[in-house]
Amino acid sequence: MDNIVLLVVLPLLAAFLMPVVARSSEVLARTLGLSVLFISIAIILNVWNQSGQIDSQAVSIAIGGFLPPLGINFYVDQISLFFALAVPVMVLLFWPWNRSTSIREYSLMMLLTASASGLILSGDLFNIYVFYELLAIASYSLVAIQGRAAAVAASFRYLLMGSVGSVMMLLGIAIIYTQTGTLNLAHLSLLAPEKLNNILGLGSFALILTGMGVKAELFPVNSWVPEVYGSVSSNLAALMAGLLSKLAVIVIVRLLILLFPQPEALQLMAVLGIMGVITGELVAWRAKDFVRMLSFSSIGQLGLVFLAFSIPGEMGMMAGIAIVLHHMVVKPALFMLATGWRGSLENLSGVARRSPFAVLLFIVLILSLLGIPPLPGFWAKYLLMVGLSSQDGSIYTLGMFIVPVAMIIEIAYLFRLVMIMYRKEGDEAAVNNPDIKVAPQSHSKWGLAIAASVAAMLIAIVLQLQPASDKLVSLASQLSDRNQYISTVFPQIHTVRMQSIK
Amino acid sequence: MPAIEVVLYSGAIGLSIIGLAGLLLLNNVFRMLLALVILEAGVNLLLILSGFRLAGVAPILLPEQMSNLSAIVMNDPVPQALVLTAIVIGVGVQALGLAMIMRIKAQYGTLNMLKIREQLEFDLAVQSGVATPVSAHSPVSLASGRERQLSNHKDEQ
Repeated sequence: MDNIVLLVVLPLLAAFLMPVVARSSEVLARTLGLSVLFISIAIILNVWNQSGQIDSQAVSIAIGGFLPPLGINFYVDQISLFFALAVPVMVLLFWPWNRSTSIREYSLMMLLTASASGLILSGDLFNIYVFYELLAIASYSLVAIQGRAAAVAASFRYLLMGSVGSVMMLLGIAIIYTQTGTLNLAHLSLLAPEKLNNILGLGSFALILTGMGVKAELFPVNSWVPEVYGSVSSNLAALMAGLLSKLAVIVIVRLLILLFPQPEALQLMAVLGIMGVITGELVAWRAKDFVRMLSFSSIGQLGLVFLAFSIPGEMGMMAGIAIVLHHMVVKPALFMLATGWRGSLENLSGVARRSPFAVLLFIVLILSLLGIPPLPGFWAKYLLMVGLSSQDGSIYTLGMFIVPVAMIIEIAYLFRLVMIMYRKEGDEAAVNNPDIKVAPQSHSKWGLAIAASVAAMLIAIVLQLQPASDKLVSLASQLSDRNQYISTVFPQIHTVRMQSIK
Repeated sequence: MPAIEVVLYSGAIGLSIIGLAGLLLLNNVFRMLLALVILEAGVNLLLILSGFRLAGVAPILLPEQMSNLSAIVMNDPVPQALVLTAIVIGVGVQALGLAMIMRIKAQYGTLNMLKIREQLEFDLAVQSGVATPVSAHSPVSLASGRERQLSNHKDEQ
């Protein structure tokens, strides 16, 4: 169990060793990075097999043997283990395989892996900040290294926004520390009901939400999204939209559950989520090219996620996790399809005849994204609607109204695209200016394979709905269980408390 | 609250506000980065102050102090450790930002955020094929050509 720590240590070590090793042998350096990823996956699968009890029980690992709250701990439960597995797997899937890729880019990818694993596993507020900053620096550099002038400018704007966000987050952490005198999440959670349940606590939540929200594409701080996704390669866009935004969301939700008991925090998230849905979907509707449409629809989907997590109780957790997981696989697959479909939407006219298989995959994916039964996306949205309807409060009622409206807008722009794809070649001449054509490229086999396996996975989930929903229930109950978190990190406090209650 | 603490806190908060205002109001990317530096300094100072005791000593126990532990006032070392980390991270981010500014200046020839943003939007539009590539080889000068194309692009929308 203790070798979970290697998930952070090995990639970090590899990140700094790779440029050195590359001086003597480039091939060795590349193998080093890949083998670290494979070792990480093996470690997690091993832990999962070894301890079947992780399903019901979490484990806290004290680093270096110093027990919390003085020491720093990693907290391993189902959801953090699942995302820790998703990190190396997705980095491997979207690994920049080009021969021309410089070793520096591989090194940054390893840095990204290390910090993403650390972010999801860490049980210490300040560690979360450090890993978040590391993740941010790795992603700014990965965007800028793409070489084009636009990528550097987009990355700089991203950097300004991200740094202001993380300064805000640091301020939030400072407020929490002055109120409680600790930074350990479990200890904070123990103190939160009396010390953070006030206006200062709410303020620090808002500050942390601003900071993490930059990565999570939260409403007011997401203007970097279309610029960055438009200027980087589809692989990196898929990784950022699919994985990194979800990691930030999960960390926000964990902090929300553990530290901030006040209902205003949930309402704040609901409002920002609804704003995200509206703005994202409306701008996606106006988008003129496929990548931009995907970027804005991703903002809209993340808004739905925040709306779902803002529903108190387990129903909201289930809906949120379902949408997160669903979007985490569907959006990268769509970005992989976008590699072949760069350029104006009008350019895609008649593309269904040239590559029928890719268009078929596209239709399956967007049907699930829209929430057409019986695909998994429908069940995710269904849970969201049921959760919203069980709450009273005007903001949730507004949410119930917004979700179908957003769905109608999505249908409008995605089906318009499908119509263009199935148009006969002859019709296009009138609308298309020959100057502004980007030659249609073909899809890479790898991208198509990813999209096809995602589509197959969606259909498999439809066939295995019962086990999937059982898993979802256990994930949700574990994520929303504060007492389990506290008692896992401090076994002795738990027993003392039980005795005092008796 | 002693007067000295009021001064210290208002200094830290003032620095943060100057930094934020600079980020919002300035238009030169280099100055924006400097405003970010000031903002970070302000927040770091706030963090340090949260663990600061006016009569406090460094949190190191000496043998002769062991006897009267309750009489010693110590500064809280945790915020200091945090700020040390935050400063290092901040320096890294600022260096990265400066390197990017140099690349931007070399490629776009301007430090004005509005112009950079305009060109960025335009480059993205060209790249994704929804705007005509600029007539870089045309007799019209590059800048005016870009502006014309931009206005055309807007008209289309």
